Amino acid sequence: MELFASTFFDLGVNLQLIVSGLALGAIYSVVALGFVLVEKSTAVLNLAVGEFLMLGSYFGVAFFMERQTNFFIGTLVITLVMALFGLFIHYGIMRPMVGQGFFAIVLATIGIATVIRAVVQMKFGPLEKGNLTALPTGTIEVAGTSIRWVDIIVLLVVAASVGAFLAFYSLTRTGLHMRAVASDIEAAAGVGIDPDRAYALTWAMAIGIAGLGGVMLGHFTPSVNPALAAIGLRAFPAAAIGGFTSVGGSIIGGLIVGVIEQLVGGHLGTKWREPVAFGILFLVLIFKPTGLFGQKDLERV
Amino acid sequence: MSDTTTSEVPASLDPSIRRTAPAVRALPFLVALASPLILDNIGWNPFGGWKILVGFIILVCVGRFAWVTAERDPNDPRLALKLWHRPDQRALSAMTCLVLVALPFVLGTDFDPPMDFPWNSWFRIINYIILFALGAGAFNLLAGYTGQLSMAHAAFLMIGTMVGAHVGLIWEQSFWLCLPVAALAGAALGALFGIPALRLRGLYLMLATIGVHFIVLLGWKEYLVHYFGFAGVRFTAPSLPSWLHWIPGINPEDGEFLINSQFRWFWLNLTITTLGLLFIVNVVRSREGRAFAAVRDRDISATLLGINVARSKLVSFALSSAMVSVSGCLLSYYNRARSEDSFNLEQVLDYGIIIVVGGFMGIQGAIFGSIFFFALPMYFEWMREELPFISDIDFFSRYAGEVDLAIRGILVVVVLVWRPDGLAGLWQSGKKRLLLRFSEPKAGAVQ
Repeated sequence: MELFASTFFDLGVNLQLIVSGLALGAIYSVVALGFVLVEKSTAVLNLAVGEFLMLGSYFGVAFFMERQTNFFIGTLVITLVMALFGLFIHYGIMRPMVGQGFFAIVLATIGIATVIRAVVQMKFGPLEKGNLTALPTGTIEVAGTSIRWVDIIVLLVVAASVGAFLAFYSLTRTGLHMRAVASDIEAAAGVGIDPDRAYALTWAMAIGIAGLGGVMLGHFTPSVNPALAAIGLRAFPAAAIGGFTSVGGSIIGGLIVGVIEQLVGGHLGTKWREPVAFGILFLVLIFKPTGLFGQKDLERV
Repeated sequence: MSDTTTSEVPASLDPSIRRTAPAVRALPFLVALASPLILDNIGWNPFGGWKILVGFIILVCVGRFAWVTAERDPNDPRLALKLWHRPDQRALSAMTCLVLVALPFVLGTDFDPPMDFPWNSWFRIINYIILFALGAGAFNLLAGYTGQLSMAHAAFLMIGTMVGAHVGLIWEQSFWLCLPVAALAGAALGALFGIPALRLRGLYLMLATIGVHFIVLLGWKEYLVHYFGFAGVRFTAPSLPSWLHWIPGINPEDGEFLINSQFRWFWLNLTITTLGLLFIVNVVRSREGRAFAAVRDRDISATLLGINVARSKLVSFALSSAMVSVSGCLLSYYNRARSEDSFNLEQVLDYGIIIVVGGFMGIQGAIFGSIFFFALPMYFEWMREELPFISDIDFFSRYAGEVDLAIRGILVVVVLVWRPDGLAGLWQSGKKRLLLRFSEPKAGAVQ
């Protein structure tokens, strides 16, 4: 049976898969963070996160591949541009739609996703580009197996930026305002917090982080192509397993799902990756609908 | 109308007046339907069976309509539940029927509109509009009326396709057997996959049904590779059963009538979609449908009203999935070819766009949305190629597909921001304004 192929218990192969799974999981965490941040504070499910990530990767192509920008400057500029885009989405589309049904707003994000996909294909063409090479591309020998530098750097960069975000979110006054609006918008407005500003900031940060994740994704994948946007859907299990209402949980969920997907893909074949990830999602939702770290809401009739 | 406040009960609500049993009332229709067969069998057929049939049906309909009109009491509260209870609705439906019947004949002519406006190619678009209206209506029954956001729509399209392929191609049974089998399989699996809805709501249900989608997708790929190989499956054209060959306009070749042209598909699709949408409208007006609406509004208070919420949710899932699988089976036979990547999650979102842009509540939304989704790209294509000034812009012709995609995305956002109730809402308010203008009382008239 191919389930117990000779590589199944091989330490080196498994280590390699786990490290690349952690790097993939780090990207999932970024996407899931984008979902959770927006969903938690504005009650909008942003299905366009995958497209924003793809847009970040293509900005990476424009900066690092075509213009040879310095990595740090380029990443900073991309993150800021994407944050501005997030502001536009809040003020241009989401604010006029306040009060509409859940599904209508979800579909508005799908409309945004469609436009992004179309514009990216107009600018860069439908063919795939090679992956970004602004980061060191070599490998390192650990425990008899080679691990890509890119995987490690992706993991570190994502950890640093997510850590910075979490510090901002939990320690600063503006972060406190954002959390207050997320937990109860009316009470927050009652004590003098401007919900509009908090929403705008949430969108800007979520999209900015997605742009950063896109740059990392462009280094991680073999090629930058329009199909990268599918990662937005694949990050759903990460967000749900962590619990849709927990920012920290989504990061852990992302790592778990990334490692599981790489292990399953490496041992059983890539076609099993999505069914297994979504099967786990299904089971978690059935037995623990709020996820592993989510909070349970009381409901009034 | 102050004189009706007496305790007099409207005749139609009076329990002492017995109404004829439904079976008895259906008898004339059954006789009418059977008459050509009977007449053919006894060898007496001077006019051809179908003329007698049509004449009889017209007589029965006119008689029944006149009788119902004579009997109608304007104070009967059940009137509001009737389909077509207002004259404008009846007039509009009659006009729609006329247009739909005339449409294929008009499109079949080799009329050449000015500026190379596409003519014959509209047939394909209209067939897709009709087929997608059925699927979108079923999606709306679940998402719009019952409030269960399910992303497993494409999964049931796959199930319908699998049933169609297995019954029609592998077991080599008739196409007409595929449809009821697809409906049964869809209903059973719909009730099964609806079980998470008993526990989950809103966003979480959506996620769980995405899981269902990927699991069924894996099954579909395995099925396809196992039975048909990597090239995908090719469906054969269905043939009309021979006992229906007396219908006017049917000219069998070699004793077989294959549904293989756009014209023939139009009638099949139209029949099934009309039946399906009528079914949805009727379900929604029934007790079951009102229970769906109560579950959508707030399922906890629905339990307090004595509604079995679990049953309602599962029934809604089963009905919707059955119709979606039927539409999937039809779509696959219409499309002729299906391969591994024919069904992706984007297709569910397309159906979502159809019902939300068309209008979330009501069956009109499904129809308007399908028209929006299929007719607009066609229209854009024509504008891009033929209109002066626009066809000169090199950019549009170079990035044709992308421009269409971008315009569609922008239109979706614009419609949703500007008109939350969708195109159907736009239509309703326009109609209301028009009716008000015509029925406006004159100044100084006594009310």
